[in-house]
Amino acid sequence: MSNRTVRRLTAAYMIAFLLAVTWPGFLLFNRVTPIILGLPFNLFCIALLITVGMGVLFALYRSEQRHDEEKH
Amino acid sequence: MERWQVIGLIIIAYLGVTLSIGLLSGRKASKSVQGYVAGDRDFGLLVMYFVLGASVFSAFAFLGGPGWAYSRGAAAFYILCYGVLGMTPYFFIGPKAAELGRRRGYVTQAQLICGRFPSRLLSVLIAALTLIAFLPYITLQMRGAGIVIEAVTDGNVPLWAGAAAAYGVVMIYVLFSGVSAVGWTNTFQGFFMLAIAWSLGLYLPIELYGGVGQMFEQIQAERPELLTVPGLQASGEPWSWGGYSSAIIVSAVGLMMWPHLFMKAFTARSDRTLRRTVVLFPTFQLFLIPVFLIGFAGVLYPESPDSPDFILPFMILNSELPAIVIGLFCAGALSASMSTGDSLMHAAASVTVEDGLGPFIKLSDRQQRRLIQGFVLITGLVAYYFAINDSSSLVVLLLTSYGLICQLAPPIVAALYWRRATTAGVAAGFAAGSGAAVFFFVTGYFGYNLRPFDLHEGVLGLAVHVPTMIVVSLLTRPQPEAQKAAFVDLREAESVAIPR
Repeated sequence: MSNRTVRRLTAAYMIAFLLAVTWPGFLLFNRVTPIILGLPFNLFCIALLITVGMGVLFALYRSEQRHDEEKH
Repeated sequence: MERWQVIGLIIIAYLGVTLSIGLLSGRKASKSVQGYVAGDRDFGLLVMYFVLGASVFSAFAFLGGPGWAYSRGAAAFYILCYGVLGMTPYFFIGPKAAELGRRRGYVTQAQLICGRFPSRLLSVLIAALTLIAFLPYITLQMRGAGIVIEAVTDGNVPLWAGAAAAYGVVMIYVLFSGVSAVGWTNTFQGFFMLAIAWSLGLYLPIELYGGVGQMFEQIQAERPELLTVPGLQASGEPWSWGGYSSAIIVSAVGLMMWPHLFMKAFTARSDRTLRRTVVLFPTFQLFLIPVFLIGFAGVLYPESPDSPDFILPFMILNSELPAIVIGLFCAGALSASMSTGDSLMHAAASVTVEDGLGPFIKLSDRQQRRLIQGFVLITGLVAYYFAINDSSSLVVLLLTSYGLICQLAPPIVAALYWRRATTAGVAAGFAAGSGAAVFFFVTGYFGYNLRPFDLHEGVLGLAVHVPTMIVVSLLTRPQPEAQKAAFVDLREAESVAIPR
């Protein structure tokens, strides 16, 4: 994947993140059950979004490093 | 030995270790403004991670966070939601700011903004706004430290003495070692806070309810309104979706615009370090979850503390934990308070001298450094005065600090990415945006809620700020090409006169 594509995907994920945690997107996840890993469903979903977000940022980091190396 | 004496000894030991780390860390830093304010631009990943992470784990996270979960339920979830969103732009902005800092010697955020948009007025405005947002924040951290010490020593060490002891230590290490001390003590304190948060966050629900899942099932059965977003307001009424959603947006925009955080871009050793810090930062958001669990554990507890903010020390003192564990908890809570307070005091003093006075009087590097140290002392004393006296009026300021701080975002983005932005446009936008935020806050405070959809005053401020900045910029004469190229494209032409 080109660096530009990775940047775009990161931006897309972050916009999706914002829409998912604010009104009205969050209404989709706003339930207590099922309780997963001890957490209410809505809290678990937020934790999952954060964890995936870290994965996305890591991919962006790798891609930017490669991009910088190619430039030099 | 009585329980409070054991606890007191542990606190003294903790303060001793923190002080020695703080003093030792400054030995290598150069005796210059760059050394004192930007750590000679040589912070590695470990320190950067904890410096930024510790700010999330402020006294707010340790006292306020559980208090929110306890009294407002799922409203507290918003605190988890903005970290990733707020940190991601820094992946690009951070390295760009750092590069300009290296080239032009910047150590503060306002220097960067006013480098692109030369204006003494703008510089002073930013410095003033920083101080208005910081003072209540520092005061609250100090008061938090005093409250915790007073509570766990059964009142034998009063608030004023506890706050003086903890912040006396902070003052000494910040005075001697500057940002290096902030960095290394935050690393030590960070480890401490995390260990305490996780062990207590899991221990309390298991001890009281038999498990985290069981705890939430019981809360769901008895207080279901606490477990669905947007939760409750402080008054116990349901919170609005507009309020909840716009709190996330304002916090995400404002997060990295806090001067004490943004400035840390100038301390990083390399772009690689900065980017790695951004990637790892969200782990601190996840570490907040156990802190909330502590607050939720208090919901069905038969007794309640005087104020929701005391739920954590209250739960600890009422559990059957040995004195050593309570002492360690206390050290964890002090870590949270001190690791944020030190950074704030250091930044407040640096900003006052570099941005408030710097544009008006010529000072040598040595004089600037001395003056910053003087202001560390003054800031500390003023905050201490408010911390031990009734400071309820100051807390009101804190409520809107994010609304003001997020007004720094448009100037930063314009300085680094928008070629057509002009000094007049940025200054007008900044003044209009801050003015609008203050207006909606003040009218709301006096009982006239003029905010549409209960939106946060910071969002409304931005809604005025951005159009004003764009329109005024387009109406005024574009900046010289060399000036734009130097900041937006990072191209340095020979002919560019470096401002200030």
